[in-house]
Amino acid sequence: MERTDRFWNPYVAGVALGLVLLTSFVLAGKGLGASGAAFHLGVAALEEVAPEHVASNEHLSRSEGSHLENRLIFMVLGVVLGGLVSAFSAGRLGLRVVRGPRIGVAPRLGMAIAGGVIMGMAARMALGCTSGQALSGGALLSVGSWVFMMAVFGGGYGLAWFVRRQWT
Amino acid sequence: MRLPIESLVVSDLGAGLVVALLIGFGFGFVLERAGFGRATKLAAQFYLHDMTVFKVMFSAIVTAMIGLVVAGGVGLVDLDMVLRTGASSTFFWPMLVGGLLLGVGFIVSGYCPGTSVVASASGNIDGMLTFLGVVVGSVIYGEIYPLIASFATSSDWGQRFIPDALGVSRAVVSLVVTVVAILAFLGAEAVERIARTRWKLGGAGAAQDEPVSSGRDPGRRAALATLAVAAVAGLAVTPVWPAPAASSIRHPDGIDAGVLAHRVVETPWSIRVLDLRGEQAWTKARIPGSEPVDTGALDRLGLRFVEPGVDLVVVDSRTVRTLPAEIAAYRGRVLSLRGGFPAWERYALTTPRPPTAGASEAERGEHVFRAALNAFLTGQQAAAPPPPVRTVGPRRSGGGGGCS
Repeated sequence: MERTDRFWNPYVAGVALGLVLLTSFVLAGKGLGASGAAFHLGVAALEEVAPEHVASNEHLSRSEGSHLENRLIFMVLGVVLGGLVSAFSAGRLGLRVVRGPRIGVAPRLGMAIAGGVIMGMAARMALGCTSGQALSGGALLSVGSWVFMMAVFGGGYGLAWFVRRQWT
Repeated sequence: MRLPIESLVVSDLGAGLVVALLIGFGFGFVLERAGFGRATKLAAQFYLHDMTVFKVMFSAIVTAMIGLVVAGGVGLVDLDMVLRTGASSTFFWPMLVGGLLLGVGFIVSGYCPGTSVVASASGNIDGMLTFLGVVVGSVIYGEIYPLIASFATSSDWGQRFIPDALGVSRAVVSLVVTVVAILAFLGAEAVERIARTRWKLGGAGAAQDEPVSSGRDPGRRAALATLAVAAVAGLAVTPVWPAPAASSIRHPDGIDAGVLAHRVVETPWSIRVLDLRGEQAWTKARIPGSEPVDTGALDRLGLRFVEPGVDLVVVDSRTVRTLPAEIAAYRGRVLSLRGGFPAWERYALTTPRPPTAGASEAERGEHVFRAALNAFLTGQQAAAPPPPVRTVGPRRSGGGGGCS
């Protein structure tokens, strides 16, 4: 086994992740989040191009305050830094396309962006993604978060057979 | 000091940004170390030969869940406040459909939004494109929002928690979830073994990752044992936790404008209406008897200490879903005007349409109430009722009398 494929034991990693989440709750009263930052980035970019369009849209104009100077954006900046430091120190840093054995680079990248678009819409609809809704709300035992989490696994298993050529 | 730190809860700026950055750092570091920067490892969850996603996610949830119970039980953390500020409302159907879609996006892209960031940071181009897709997707959602708004805001259950729904204490639910999670971990490991050896799934990919049996790993034993012990400890530090008692505080129930209007007129002593829109808007138009409240200085109301005799009704320019901490601290019932002030305007400040011919007694009564309220509030008399139609009978022929 190469050194670069050594990951933490999943349970140890899970407890560590839970402690990060707990710290977030204990200090700031809020959990983790990722998709919210993507939304703010998107709205900020659109505001550069078409500010009136954003202002007239019920959903895009909903959030208050700055789109860039907010908690969610800073958290994702932190995720980038943390991921960078961890990947670098584990010798896993480098440009590459991660793909299954039977799929080419171009289709893989197409799937990556398509899946991202679907998740972007899904996370808005569910008021959060796997981080903000499933992990954070799940730890608070929120009913909606558990419904969401079950549905995520349901959606993934439901479609897995149809996209198996990408991964296996 | 009682946690969470109030200034961080109220404002996301300044120190809040630094804290968010540091927490994000830990989040990204751990995700990368778990192997979540790599799409093949994440997608393997759905092909059964590597259930790392499930194991990491549920041990994280269990850890934080128990941690909050213990920290709340010993009085370190105001758990009620964390629940109010940390949890979103439950929108049952949007969350179910959103979850299914997110699962679909997960298996198509190989990442979830958070892990796509970690993948990007470690140099995976597929991760960068996934994150770009998430950005684009959330903006597209805004564009199509008018079409699906009624679905997206449907089945709004307010903030709702499993312990309250079951009427069982949070510590007990946590213990049960922990036990179920540990059993599920053992099950997941069994599935992995079968998938790899009998079904020959994973192939080269599986060989790259963890060895099949992680049973001898001391980290695994320590982690699982810690969770089990902590869950029992959670029960010990919170001997009795009457979950349902506080539920009305945490979940602001909705109140319709019509119901509110009746209470304002008929039993004004039973409610206290707080208008969060600010003094200017309040001066222009308001619900009779409501108080303008400066959202920056809610603590001045001292609701925390007020005897919970009346129901609080919060009004804003739209439905208030998450109560500000100072209002949520009120020990009595807190209601939120559904649809916010615009709903009140529609109900009370527009001239009601008269009932149709076949209207029931109740409908006619309601119309009279609305018309009177509207006339009172707008200072406009409703259009005068049409003069009673004179019953035209046969005139009596003048028969004598009078001067002619």
